[in-house]
Amino acid sequence: MEEWKPNPPVKPHKKRSWYLAWKYKLMNQRALRKLCQTGAVLFLLVTVIVNIKLILDTRRAAYEEEEESAQDYDDEMLNVEVPRHPVNNKKVLDVEVYSSRSKVYVAVDGTTVLEDEAREQGRGIHVIVLNQATGHVMAKRVFDTYSPHEDEAMVLFLNMVARGRILIFTIKDEGSFHLKETAKNVLKSLGSQVAPFLSWRDMWTFVGKKGGEVYGEKHAKSPALSTWGDPVLLKTEVHLTSVEDAECHWPDTELNRRRKRFCSKVEGYGSVCSCKDPTPIEFNPDPLKDNKVFDVPVAVIAGNRPNYLYRMLRSLLSAQGVNPQMITVFIDGYYEEPMDVVELFGLSGIQHTPISIKNARVSQHYKASLTATFNLFPDAKFAVVLEEDLDISVDFFSFLSQSIHLLEEDESLYCISAWNDQGYEHTAEDPSLLYRVETMPGLGWVLRKSLYKDELEPKWPTPEKLWDWDMWMRMPEQRKGRECIIPDISRSYHFGIVGLNMNGYFHEAYFKKHKFNTVPNVQLKNVESLRKDNYETEIHRLLGEAEVLDHSKNPCEDSFVPDTEGRVYVMFIRMEQEADFTTWTQLAKCLHIWDLDVRGNHKGLWRLFRKKNHFLVVGVPASPYSSKKPSSVTPIYMEPPAKDEGAAAVPAAAAEQT
Amino acid sequence: NGAAFSKGRGSQSGQDSTRWHVVRKFLGLISSHNIPVYLIDPLILGLVNKDIEQIRSSPDGPSPECKYFCAPRDFTTFALLDKTWKHDVGLFRAAEKMGFQWLKIINKDPRLDGMDDLSGMEIPLHYIFKLASHAIHLVVFYERSGNFLWHGPLRLKQHMDRKFVPFRKLHFGRYPGAYEKPELLLVSIDDLKVQIPKNPSSFLEEMSHSRFLECRYREARAFFQLYPDDSSLDAVEFRKKAKSLLHLAALTLNNLGVKFWLSSGTCLGWFRQCNVIPHSKDVDLGIFIRDYKADIIPAFQKAGLPLKHKFGKVEDSLELSFQGEDDVKLDIFFFYEEDDHVWNGGTQAKSGKKFKYLFPKFTLCWTEFVELKVHVPCETLQYVEANYGPEWKVPVKSWDWKSSPFNVQDNGIWPIDEWDNVIQIY
Repeated sequence: MEEWKPNPPVKPHKKRSWYLAWKYKLMNQRALRKLCQTGAVLFLLVTVIVNIKLILDTRRAAYEEEEESAQDYDDEMLNVEVPRHPVNNKKVLDVEVYSSRSKVYVAVDGTTVLEDEAREQGRGIHVIVLNQATGHVMAKRVFDTYSPHEDEAMVLFLNMVARGRILIFTIKDEGSFHLKETAKNVLKSLGSQVAPFLSWRDMWTFVGKKGGEVYGEKHAKSPALSTWGDPVLLKTEVHLTSVEDAECHWPDTELNRRRKRFCSKVEGYGSVCSCKDPTPIEFNPDPLKDNKVFDVPVAVIAGNRPNYLYRMLRSLLSAQGVNPQMITVFIDGYYEEPMDVVELFGLSGIQHTPISIKNARVSQHYKASLTATFNLFPDAKFAVVLEEDLDISVDFFSFLSQSIHLLEEDESLYCISAWNDQGYEHTAEDPSLLYRVETMPGLGWVLRKSLYKDELEPKWPTPEKLWDWDMWMRMPEQRKGRECIIPDISRSYHFGIVGLNMNGYFHEAYFKKHKFNTVPNVQLKNVESLRKDNYETEIHRLLGEAEVLDHSKNPCEDSFVPDTEGRVYVMFIRMEQEADFTTWTQLAKCLHIWDLDVRGNHKGLWRLFRKKNHFLVVGVPASPYSSKKPSSVTPIYMEPPAKDEGAAAVPAAAAEQT
Repeated sequence: NGAAFSKGRGSQSGQDSTRWHVVRKFLGLISSHNIPVYLIDPLILGLVNKDIEQIRSSPDGPSPECKYFCAPRDFTTFALLDKTWKHDVGLFRAAEKMGFQWLKIINKDPRLDGMDDLSGMEIPLHYIFKLASHAIHLVVFYERSGNFLWHGPLRLKQHMDRKFVPFRKLHFGRYPGAYEKPELLLVSIDDLKVQIPKNPSSFLEEMSHSRFLECRYREARAFFQLYPDDSSLDAVEFRKKAKSLLHLAALTLNNLGVKFWLSSGTCLGWFRQCNVIPHSKDVDLGIFIRDYKADIIPAFQKAGLPLKHKFGKVEDSLELSFQGEDDVKLDIFFFYEEDDHVWNGGTQAKSGKKFKYLFPKFTLCWTEFVELKVHVPCETLQYVEANYGPEWKVPVKSWDWKSSPFNVQDNGIWPIDEWDNVIQIY
């Protein structure tokens, strides 16, 4: 683990704060233009020289590498010790912090560690945490405290930062509108004198040590509602402490060594770095008896959301039957912090040079990750695919262990997924129940190697096709009529909010109320009945037993379903042909379940729970189960609302994600 | 028990009790960490092999003398299957406490090498544990696609101690190697309980030609930059069929114990682009004529590949062609060895003309290709250049086997009375 070197270093920070300070003071003076031009020419020259040198160096490096492989054992090329960076004995850091309407920057000892002048972005309070012994940046966050609830997130974050760290604050544009009392008090307790009085469009910078001295604070009041305070530039010095003082004194074990490495680099992970009572980083959940998925590799697909990854890996490593050796985290890009999280937990991580853009980038990352997984575990017949924004149920592996043989034996199956698209708090009830569905939910699923190697990998969408991998996998050309097995109550929970194409409202509406199993060791019911033919028998049995609901009532009303428990009810809706989901979509909407596209169906049948009763919906006449409809019953038809352009745009955007 | 034994025997002339003690300590260390290693030291396995019946029959018997672990050597070699242990750093701390110095040789993970843009952590390939004058060389084996084990080369990085052990004398690490997954046997030799390959002689045989060649992924990437890969549906389909045909052919020939290698276009595909050339339309294998078996034809027929044609005869220019699924053909060329070159023959059916394709002599190496462990000529560049000329890097779509190859020679005409035998078309 300690040998891992981040490939191209994530830096380079630009050495330019002297230039910036100078620029902002003198920007408008015309006499300067000439000087700037000369400077630009010089700069170009230097760039050319540097580039030529770089090319030469790269060539030489490539050549040397070949040399090495040609030699036996020894590579006695250059026995030159790489000069180490001189140890920085400096005890004082120069810190510059700039706050203005359109730009913020922070420079530490002349190195820019934050610079944000993007339009329409980065509004609010920027916070940087420095290590008090080394001066390294340990965390960088921005809280848009112009918007609601962001101040709570900031308080949470500040509370997680260890005592003694150096905190730097600066406001871009506006940071006070939703900065509530609690947050202001926290800032005050850090030593800020201005924070309690921060108001609309004020500019503000502050540098202080958590639980210690204040190094500086500057503030510029906004003179009127329509204008901003003048830009402020705070220049101050911060005194460094010794490394010993900055570290906790945990007992010297292998685990704590990992913890120490992590905690001296990054901040914002709370009790994992607590000196007194650090939270464990090894979980040792109970092993599973007869674990059929112990040797199945687990690929965790990650981007640059290290806090999510941290939460995700904690839940994964706490799940019963987990085998950490089979876990590989695939990081899309050369990000350091996600890799730090991976190393904290002693797992292996692989970084992936981003290819292409947007959705295609994710899609290429998936392909590389899946290929690598089957390369690394050539014996594996399956791979578990997870994402960094999922919580994993305590019985996730138990669920898979009990069902994986189906995927091996039943060729009509496409996947096993831990996620039920329709499994909300009010529509999922039975942790031991499984379904077959024609849609592919993703969000924690098992992929068969033969499916990947023989079908998907060879024709995976190429980078120039800006396709979503999951939408592509759901296309009939790929799915070929096969189904996925899902649980009634999901074994994963999608906690991601800030994602590629996700927004807060969307998450709130469609994911937050999703049911998530917390019961350990659930014994799945009647797994054999999930096989292709058995499942039909099972459905017919269920429909035979089901009581037909009163079709004269409004299916959206609660009273549509009697106040019973544990009964099976069926309703019939109009569904003219296989692709007619008009009524279903309206029903899904009023039941507050997934209505953005059709999910969870099996031959025109949907299964869910209402008021703790099993609730079946059959589409007539398209579904083969229509024959179960008594002749006296007229299928319910629900009209879609009049076309309204605003509403129509939402499903299109939403269909892109998950 | 062991201590008493060593006292009695260790001091005998020509014996080295140090070695025995170091091995015993090492085995104690790794068993206390639950790490399953097995002995692959060729010198010891060679000795063990002579007494294998006796060793098998008395797995627990005390040894009257120290026969195996006391010959004075600089090192003893063990193997470790990577997936059977947890990279527990506690092992190294415990080793240090016991007085071992250790060295770890890490390098890139070849399983990710084929993928342009992934960078994983480097993986340990070799460990050396040194105590007093003896060292344990622990070779780490990895599972690769194609159901085989792979070990890496041993290359020292700049800052490493070049004199830690006499590296050049090590039995493993000069080249990477490919092995079948061995069946293991727990035995007691010299009063030490140790796992060995169940069949030491076949392991030693395997070791003697275990050299592995990695595909040239970097060059393949450069090739695809110049000539973007064909990702049409036809190409995808052909590759799939060629892969399954190659898998079937390998299975059939391996069952017969016939050694073969990738030849002609299939070899070029591996060497140039690490993949099947999508416009090549067939799969080509080479077999030395000395390895020819009459069972080959019936075995392929049994495997569902009917004979399409047979040209030449065992004594001269033999060439077999089998019909795979949908037009994909399997060509097997038999190679004849001369003093300073090897050649295979070709026959034109309508004219009875004979052709000869000359190659420089070569040896065989293992490689991984389309999830298969197969042979290729170790001197691949010379082989490919002989066949395709210096322009082999440029894809050619129109190819005439009678005139295009760089190394083709006219070789006369079959006598008419032999035609029925040497030109058989089905």
